[in-house]
Amino acid sequence: MTEFTPEIVAFCCRHCAYAAADLAGSLRIQYPPNVKVVEVPCTGRLDIVEVLHAFERGVDGVMAAG
Amino acid sequence: MIVAEQKPLEEIKELIADAERVLIVGCGTCVTVCFAGGAKEAAILGSTLRMATRLDGHGKAIDEVTVQRQCEWEYIDPLEARLDDYDLILSLGCGIGVQTLAERFPDKPVVPGLNTVFMGLPVEQGVWEERCQACGDCILGLTAGICPIARCSKQLLNGPCGGSQDGRCEVDESIPCAWQLIYERAKALGRLDKLLEIQPPKDWSKSRDGGPRRVVREDLRLTHRVAEVAGGER
Repeated sequence: MTEFTPEIVAFCCRHCAYAAADLAGSLRIQYPPNVKVVEVPCTGRLDIVEVLHAFERGVDGVMAAG
Repeated sequence: MIVAEQKPLEEIKELIADAERVLIVGCGTCVTVCFAGGAKEAAILGSTLRMATRLDGHGKAIDEVTVQRQCEWEYIDPLEARLDDYDLILSLGCGIGVQTLAERFPDKPVVPGLNTVFMGLPVEQGVWEERCQACGDCILGLTAGICPIARCSKQLLNGPCGGSQDGRCEVDESIPCAWQLIYERAKALGRLDKLLEIQPPKDWSKSRDGGPRRVVREDLRLTHRVAEVAGGER
C-alpha cells in the first residue's frame, strides 16, 4: 500500500506568507509538491466558499497562511 | 425584515432526494441580511450538497443563482430561460419567495431550504427578535411604540398579566415583559395617561381570522388605468 500523501491547498496572503514562499523559492528552498499555493490579497479575503470549493475538488486539507 | 433560518442539511437532502439536477435560488433581500439565503449561503449550501450527495453515492448536479427579490415577478422571470436544465428548484427565499416561484413556474417542483420565522430586526449582530405580527390594525400609537401583539406572549391589550416578574415574562425569562417596556417608555415620555384608556377586545378580522388577506390600490392598478383611459376616450 502506498503511503497517504495529502493534497493541500495553501491560501497565502500576498503581504506575508506568499512573500515568504516567494523568498523561499529565490533561496532555492524546496517544499513538497503536494502543497499548492494560491495567492490571496489578504487572508481576510478568504471565504468559507473558497475553502468548500477546494474540498469539493478533492483536496485533503486547506491551509490559510497570513 | 423577514427573518428566516436554514433548514437542517438532512431535511434539505430529503426534500431534493428525487431530483438529479437542482437549482438553488437565493434571494438578495431580507434573507441575505439575516444570513440565511443570500448569494453566499446559496454558494455554501450548493457546495455542501454537491459533496454530501457525492459521499452518499448519488452525486447531484447542483447550481446556484441569486435574484434580487424572489417575491416579485420581474425579478424571477429571467430564471425561466434556464429552468429546462433542472428537475427541481430549491428556494432559499422566505415562504413568499418559495410560493412566488411555484406560482410562476407551475411545471417545476419548488421546495424550501429555509424556515421563515418572523418579521423583526437584528437587535445586535447575530441576534434577531420579532417585532411585528402584521395584525392589520396597528396599535403602536397607543402603546408607546412597543407592540404587545408581537412582544407580549399573551397579546394583552391592557397591561401586564400576573406572570410579569422583575420585567421578565413568565413564559421564558429571556423574554422582556412587553408591558413593562411599554410602561417604562410611556413614563419616560410623560405619556402614562395614554395607558389609562381601556382598550376594547381587538378586531381580529383584520388579522388572520379574516382568512388570507389582500390589499388592493385601485389608483395603482394598471388594468384600472387602462379602463379609465378607454372610458375617457369614449
